[in-house]
Amino acid sequence: MAYKDIKFAVSLYSYQDNYYFKRLDFEGAIAAAAGSGAEGIEVLGDTMIPEWPYISDEFADRFVGLQYRYGVKGVCFEHWSDRAMWKNKQLTDDEMFERGVMYIKAAKKLGIPMVKLLHEEHIGPKAIAGYKLTDYGIIERLLPVAADLGVTLALEVHTHDGVGADYQQKYIELAERTNLPFLGLAPDFSTFSYCMSTADIVDYTSRGAQKEILEFFRSKQRGAYFANVPFVYEAVSAEIEKMRPNDVTKQAIQFSMHMIGRKPPFDKLFKDLKDLASKLVYVHAKFYDLDENDCPDDMDYPRIFKALKEGGYKGYVASEFEGNRRMNMAGWVDEIEYVRRHQAYMRSLL
Amino acid sequence: MYDSHILTEHDCRNMWEHGKKYGYGVDITINYYRGLPLSCVEEIALEVDGEPIDPADMILRISGKEFPYTDILQDDFPTDFYWPFGEYLRVIVLKDGGIPQGRHHVKLTLKTRRSYTPTMVAVCEKDLTFA
Repeated sequence: MAYKDIKFAVSLYSYQDNYYFKRLDFEGAIAAAAGSGAEGIEVLGDTMIPEWPYISDEFADRFVGLQYRYGVKGVCFEHWSDRAMWKNKQLTDDEMFERGVMYIKAAKKLGIPMVKLLHEEHIGPKAIAGYKLTDYGIIERLLPVAADLGVTLALEVHTHDGVGADYQQKYIELAERTNLPFLGLAPDFSTFSYCMSTADIVDYTSRGAQKEILEFFRSKQRGAYFANVPFVYEAVSAEIEKMRPNDVTKQAIQFSMHMIGRKPPFDKLFKDLKDLASKLVYVHAKFYDLDENDCPDDMDYPRIFKALKEGGYKGYVASEFEGNRRMNMAGWVDEIEYVRRHQAYMRSLL
Repeated sequence: MYDSHILTEHDCRNMWEHGKKYGYGVDITINYYRGLPLSCVEEIALEVDGEPIDPADMILRISGKEFPYTDILQDDFPTDFYWPFGEYLRVIVLKDGGIPQGRHHVKLTLKTRRSYTPTMVAVCEKDLTFA
């Protein structure tokens, strides 16, 4: 019997190239998401609201009408932590708090019950020096504001350590301690990427990398994952050196090792996902390219969904297609078709 | 990102007033997956036929407003004027007599700051026909 507690959404980010090149406007992107079978949409004010950072009554009214027309609901609104606002000056913590409030109020105005908040630890305990994002102290102040407006703050976890990392637990504890259940974690599936995606191979090959070397590297990463052993670059480095990799090829391998090589064992990542599933507030189904069965070709979706279902996740899983960013330098990729296939594939996993 | 698309052929032409050309304009699009406040533009550098354009001669036009380019670089510039994603930011170069109608080589270097990683740099070079 199909699992009933997961619903599907599409982040309109997935259609960014259609929007950038004026093939689809905001309404067109909503129509595409609805057409893929999704019930929810994730809205990016910074990307698709022309009057941003303001939202007029007319826009809000129109959004109500669009949801009605296309039979979808706005389920999540995206927040960014733009602190480096000027060349020599950054926003203070108070000003960052104010910007957080701005995003929460924008979501409220549109009737969207959740803000996906870019928090300090989204890619690890110390992201990048000089780029302090919205941190614990600011989130502690934003939580009562969000609760008052009935908006949930979802902290998206992009990091290789996943939702089980020690440094993410303080946010769950904050919601529990204050008895304000309007804050929680939202895993992004990039955490579960176990090899270089073919989208990366397309991207790097278009910039001069050697396809056969990257395909060899990818096959070794996949072999390690399915044998349930850690991938160690040293085990293949001699063979790769013999193939005489050029600089772009080396850069691609280095990037992949940076993204994937630091992960804890996958058994732990999946166990953490299952253990925390019932507390998660949102899930971002990131994908770059699909294999012949429509499974994202660098992530083990069956195992991800098994963990979510066994752990009792209740909520939305949103498609976020990011292959456009990697593949469109080499030629147009069909975002609409990718999302349609991805949604159908995910539904088959319930 | 969008490096090869940031310099567009849209409305590429001389700018006129009272029957005289006072400069020329090119429309550019952002090198990112979302819009950004204009204050997050680190640099817009233009070279036309190999000659760098003086930043003091550049005016930006967006969403019905106009700003001297050097104003947006100031550390107190307001943060609520956005360059919307995919929208044209018009760069007007002030030059008495404009640019001779026809083909010119244009090079754009665009640097933008985003919230969580270092400044993004995109370079785009094209031959454009100015009307």
